[in-house]
Amino acid sequence: MGSSLSEKIFMIFIYIFTGAFALACFLPFWLVLINSFAAESNIKLHGYQLFPKEFSLASYQYLLEGKQVLSSYIVSTSVTVAGTILAVAVTSMYAYTLAHPKVRYRNILSFLTYFTMIFGTGLVGFYILVANWLGLKDTLWALILPYVLNPFFAFIMVSFFRTLPYEINEAATVDGANDLTIFFKIIIPISKPVIATVSLFYALQYWNDFFLALLFIDDYKLHPLQMMIRQLISNINIGAYVSGSQTTYTQPLPTYGVQLATVCLTIGPIILLYPFTQKFFVKGITIGALKG
Amino acid sequence: MAVFREILKNKYLYLLALPGLLFLLVFAYLPMTGYLIAFKKYRLSDGLWGSEWVRFDNFKFFFMGSDWYKVTFNTIFLNGLFIVCGLGIALLLAIFLNEVRNLVFKKMAQTFIFMPYFISWLVVSMMVFAFLNTTDGILNRTLAAYGIQGGNWYLMPGIWPAVLTIIYIWKFAGYYSIIFLAAITGISGEYYESARIDGASRYQQIIHITIPLIRNVLVVLALLGVGRIFYGDFGMIYGIIGDNAPLYPTTDVIDTYSFRALRQLGDFSKSSAVILYQAVMGLVTIVLFNAIAKKIDKDSSLF
Repeated sequence: MGSSLSEKIFMIFIYIFTGAFALACFLPFWLVLINSFAAESNIKLHGYQLFPKEFSLASYQYLLEGKQVLSSYIVSTSVTVAGTILAVAVTSMYAYTLAHPKVRYRNILSFLTYFTMIFGTGLVGFYILVANWLGLKDTLWALILPYVLNPFFAFIMVSFFRTLPYEINEAATVDGANDLTIFFKIIIPISKPVIATVSLFYALQYWNDFFLALLFIDDYKLHPLQMMIRQLISNINIGAYVSGSQTTYTQPLPTYGVQLATVCLTIGPIILLYPFTQKFFVKGITIGALKG
Repeated sequence: MAVFREILKNKYLYLLALPGLLFLLVFAYLPMTGYLIAFKKYRLSDGLWGSEWVRFDNFKFFFMGSDWYKVTFNTIFLNGLFIVCGLGIALLLAIFLNEVRNLVFKKMAQTFIFMPYFISWLVVSMMVFAFLNTTDGILNRTLAAYGIQGGNWYLMPGIWPAVLTIIYIWKFAGYYSIIFLAAITGISGEYYESARIDGASRYQQIIHITIPLIRNVLVVLALLGVGRIFYGDFGMIYGIIGDNAPLYPTTDVIDTYSFRALRQLGDFSKSSAVILYQAVMGLVTIVLFNAIAKKIDKDSSLF
């Protein structure tokens, strides 16, 4: 191998830069995880540490004994599951029509969809619609319905459906299948990669969103996990919020610990999804970005 | 009649699109009537139609003050930083990752770099707080260990454009680098083969093959960014800055400004005027830049 010295230095630089960037991405996660197990006194004394000297489960214990984390978990999970299923169903059906060469008005539909991406809906009208006209304030529907059709995700699906050979359609029509049967029995099963990708996108959006909760959810019993984090950051009275009552505690509250433990409980499920969908996800991002 | 016949002919296909279409009409187009409020003095009790017309008063109010200039500048400046630095670093990362031959290292690095994409802005905000807060923050503790006096970072607006840009890069570099990496993988190996025969070094191959061949992807991504330059990421800015007024001079963007007008002041009309201004400017930008892109390079335009 005739690699020169400068070439070797260049390669070393590449490894160092990439490694350092990866480390910088990873470290905050490590700090949050490890310090959520640190004793509160330890954090107070030394700040956040890479390797705390004293470990304690007090934050988790405290958090899991309270009522708020359970109810927030239920809210987040049900919104994410129900929302993702509904959104993927609506989006894939819509995208299929947009991609279908038989549909003469598909360009009009596409334009209607695209236009909402470049000309905003407007916060005020949106707020009035959801809160006053539809009366969804303080209901879970306010967290689900607004995200049911994301134009960007729809176009990812459109570009996938366009790659499917039209012969499938013709063959099935000859066999007497109508468009509904074709879609549900043939198209859906062969579209698993794009459905997996878009599902993960939607799941991420539902799970991580706090904007809708901020606008429409005042009742803390309906606070999703993200709102719980927000309350814990800005709070006020952590004791009353987490435990769901006005109990007074004799021991000092693990404030930082509780924040970090909540964060760990929040990112756990969504990070765990990643390895399973990574293969699809990377492909999906690529299609989406290049053709969306 | 032709419309009717077409719909009847493909009734099942239009039926499939119906829920999505209904959604668009209700959640995207119906709220646009809310822009009318920008020209009215909105009172909840009078409703959208009953409120009094005031024509351009709300706009006058917005444009006469110093706020409009500040939030417009912040929005464009921050987004500009995000686009340039975010895409720049992501491109660099993708090129470097492509050069890495050690597969274990490559896989691990990629997994770590992609992780921040998955977490919410509030979690990011927690991490930023853990790093920057005055008393227990990692930065100030570390500085103190070396005998240096730390700062009260959450009261210093000057540093936040840089801080937000770093956070943006941290969160999105992985996402964009995957897009670039996919484009690089699509480049035929023959180019590199013949370059190597001609004696080109790795560095020269990157400059003369890799970068020119993924230029299109870069242009499209930059265009998408520029097209949305009037829209801030509300979740990001509000998640991290929240209602921390001392930082508004450099971080308040159109989205957060109008949100505050709506939620805290309850001023529907003013908020609506600001957002209409944003939407119109956004539309103008995207049409303008698309036309420019078409002039420069036919394949790079969005529509």
